[in-house]
Amino acid sequence: MEYVIIAEKLSKRYGIIEAVRGVSFRIRRGEIYGFLGPNGAGKTTTLGMLTTIIKPTSGEAYVAGYSITKEPWKVRERIGVVFQDPTVDKNLTALENMVIHGLMYGIPRREAKRRALELLEFVGLKGFANVQVKKFSGGMIRRLEIARALMNTPEILFLDEPTIGLDPQSRAKVWEVIRRLRREGVTIFLTTHYMDEAEKLCDRVAIIDHGVIIAEGNPEKLKSLIGSDLIYVEANGEVKDIIRRLSDYGEVKIGRNMITLKVKDAPSILPEIVKIFYKTGIPIRSIKYSRPSLDDVFLYLTGRRLRDEEGDWRTFARLRFRRRFR
Amino acid sequence: MKTLNISRDVRRVSGIRFHIQAFTAMVYRQLVRFTRARSRLINAFTMPIIWLVFFGLGWASAFNRLGPVARMLFKGLSYIEYLIPGLVLMSAFTGGLISGLAIIFDREFGYLKELLVTPASRPISLLGRLVGDSIVATIQSTIMLIILMVVTEYTNILGFIAMIGIMLVTSLLASTIGASLALSMASPEGFQAIVNLITMPMIFLSGAFYPLDTLKPPLSILATINPLTHPVQLARWAMYGVIEEPLSLAIVGTIVYTLIFTILATVKYRRTYVA
Repeated sequence: MEYVIIAEKLSKRYGIIEAVRGVSFRIRRGEIYGFLGPNGAGKTTTLGMLTTIIKPTSGEAYVAGYSITKEPWKVRERIGVVFQDPTVDKNLTALENMVIHGLMYGIPRREAKRRALELLEFVGLKGFANVQVKKFSGGMIRRLEIARALMNTPEILFLDEPTIGLDPQSRAKVWEVIRRLRREGVTIFLTTHYMDEAEKLCDRVAIIDHGVIIAEGNPEKLKSLIGSDLIYVEANGEVKDIIRRLSDYGEVKIGRNMITLKVKDAPSILPEIVKIFYKTGIPIRSIKYSRPSLDDVFLYLTGRRLRDEEGDWRTFARLRFRRRFR
Repeated sequence: MKTLNISRDVRRVSGIRFHIQAFTAMVYRQLVRFTRARSRLINAFTMPIIWLVFFGLGWASAFNRLGPVARMLFKGLSYIEYLIPGLVLMSAFTGGLISGLAIIFDREFGYLKELLVTPASRPISLLGRLVGDSIVATIQSTIMLIILMVVTEYTNILGFIAMIGIMLVTSLLASTIGASLALSMASPEGFQAIVNLITMPMIFLSGAFYPLDTLKPPLSILATINPLTHPVQLARWAMYGVIEEPLSLAIVGTIVYTLIFTILATVKYRRTYVA
């Protein structure tokens, strides 16, 4: 197996705060690997270390075959990075941003310009090539930055919270670009605190909390930590009789009007359940099922929900604080 | 949107060609930014014009009362003539210092990260942006010099050409000082505070406004170690053949200080991490 990123006990300490506490992981060529965790979990710091702009306190990582501490410039040549906050020069046009980036990676001007136009077309911004970036929306800037990060044909693309702060439409567009990059075989390391993003995009996910990886694997595997799907049936009438028949399929719990059934694979069992109710003549008012999400996995592992962090004023204050001093 | 072979290899240059390319890219960026912000152009030469009119003309008419004694004090020049090289270099110097502020802004707005993550040589890319800013500052102060030349009917073309070189070196010196400070400061406010603290004493003690030979220690010592003194002396020598220290000291002082701060800034930049 070929690994393009190998991290070994990477740690970063800021004064008394240990932002990252010895994370180790390996990323294979061509996969999309996600760091999922709440704000402040150490995702951005880890990404900063892998992209050579943050110096690890201890530990080591090899990116594209080179040490991030001993040969950072060789790493830089081989990666593309999209940071969480915009890093474009808003006084320049999209094309100028791209071409200057290309020149800084050693691509000759003419070739840089040609490739920049190709990539702008790839992310759907060709019509805006000569527009100053200050006129761009947040989603356009993000796509521009992804295009720019691809200028040097990177072996690995790093995306830090690629859709944070974007409206649903822009978010869908960024996802579309990432999916097409996967098809192109680009290895992607991304961080996110959106569980749906991790679930939909990533081949493998590491769940990180308080600077430590607490679980790792593909989303389906992680969800199987929880074990099963849940079917909820809301029915009127005497349901006691059918419990015995339902329990053939899985563990049954009865609420007031609600029967909860814990099963291995809800979609395949659903018709059977409906049939049982139909035969006994008990009308179903509603029936639904849910599969465990990565949020449930996070809850299971930490006792907290990922979502709890959102909208929390302390998180907001901390984000503001960090942005200010970055 | 169409499909694209992302992984198709792009041609890349390496070695000295890569360095030249990174350098010119950064010069280019600073120049483009300048053309997009015309207010900077106006801003840069209003201050010295204000100095000339409200400070220079006032003192010039006061000194005129003294007649020949004043001419002696100013080495045979009228006060306005004495003032011109100083004002022009003041413009070049403050223009160059802004380079440090630009680095701070790049850090605030994230662009510094974009630069730090590129494989281009850090010293080369820093020098590129500093030279770019110096060219901008030189353009600004050249405009001012031309205005002042017209006002005082100055016609020595050689003096003018020499001045362009001196302004370029002075703004480079200022931009390396600005960059060294910016890369040592955590906040824009801190940078502003330090710059405000050092600019005025440096300009006053450079001999831009009054002769240095009347100063007593410790001010005279401070004037000699002031990096700005030497280019100011050089400028007055270039324009009017008047100089208050040995010409060799002015030349060596200018070059040595520029080299020292260039090295300091590049070393700092090379070691820069985001955190």
